[in-house]
Amino acid sequence: MKLFVSEGNPHCLKVLAVLKLTGVKCDVQHVNHEEKVVPHLSRPTLPALLLPSGMHLFSANSICRYLGEVSGQPSSDLNNQWLEWEASELQPAVAQALHLAVLQGKGSEASSALQGQLSYLEQSLCKKTTPFLTAEIVSVADVVLWAALYPILSDHGLVLGDQGKVQNWFERVGMLAACESAAQEVLQGKGLKSEALKAYMQKQPAPPHSQAQKRDN
Amino acid sequence: MALKELSSLEKALGLKKPNKYSTQGDKKVPVLQRSNGPALSGLVTIATYLVREANRAELLGESAEHRAIVQQWLEYRVTKVDGCQKEDIKTILKDLNTYLEDKVYLAGNQFTLADTLMYYGIHHIIVDLAVQEKEKYVNVTRWFDHVQHYPGIRNHLPPVVVLKNRVYTGSHH
Repeated sequence: MKLFVSEGNPHCLKVLAVLKLTGVKCDVQHVNHEEKVVPHLSRPTLPALLLPSGMHLFSANSICRYLGEVSGQPSSDLNNQWLEWEASELQPAVAQALHLAVLQGKGSEASSALQGQLSYLEQSLCKKTTPFLTAEIVSVADVVLWAALYPILSDHGLVLGDQGKVQNWFERVGMLAACESAAQEVLQGKGLKSEALKAYMQKQPAPPHSQAQKRDN
Repeated sequence: MALKELSSLEKALGLKKPNKYSTQGDKKVPVLQRSNGPALSGLVTIATYLVREANRAELLGESAEHRAIVQQWLEYRVTKVDGCQKEDIKTILKDLNTYLEDKVYLAGNQFTLADTLMYYGIHHIIVDLAVQEKEKYVNVTRWFDHVQHYPGIRNHLPPVVVLKNRVYTGSHH
């Protein structure tokens, strides 16, 4: 098995943190953002995992779920639900927030782009009696959501409103050695100020419906 | 849309008692209220749960690797195909066409839940393709035709004629 990652890419933060957490044996190769690893996709897509069968996984969440399963943690309904929410609801908002904050220097607009998703997460955490999203112990879903929010929530310059539960949960996950070391490796432990993140963002297409795009048109 | 799909999936799985669904948020994300546990939300999460309820776990893949590939295409369906812009459609079709070149189904040689949900999600795109486009993306249309003729899958959707010569062979009734 071989995992391809690139620096500054928050999706690579997800898979490296889960890889370190689960201890699954896998070669890791650092490539640049433009490297075309998956032959059947027109756009370069990272991270990518080359499976023993020769097929590729090209979605970070699927790679994380797979690493969880081969380390003996099959995905529960609740874990599935958080991974689906992350991919379909949180990601579009994060992409827009990062675009605004990293490329346009509009930190305040960035936090409002994420407000709805952060409130949803806050409400869900308020209803829970466990320290993590699905259980007493950290799950793949915790690490995936933590990594998605890492660039934004680790930046204390951003004012994010009253999300105390989210902050506590975020710090709890971030204290894990696997997360800390993956954050160093991918983003030098820096959030929005990471040069590597900026270089990555510059290679990404502008998110659809973004304010920026509307104005440019 | 998602609710129709879930009801078609229930039929395809042979689940006798239809479930009750609601939706949440602007995107009308489906929510399933369960008597035996907390509510579940999200099309893929609910569909995966229904497959297990119907004791058809093989439709989710038979090994960790196979399951990961199935989940990846399910995610692709809800993140890339759903709500795609006009200019994205070509990329989606081109990429799927390359991918399906040496495969019968999305996860290889076996039919899985990924085929069912991708078929439901991509139906409106395939309906609109001109004949030349259907020929251009021949692996996609071949796959699409396999799935729409797979027993019990089509349900709420009208059949699409994908390959000219098929119309005259009379092999599909």
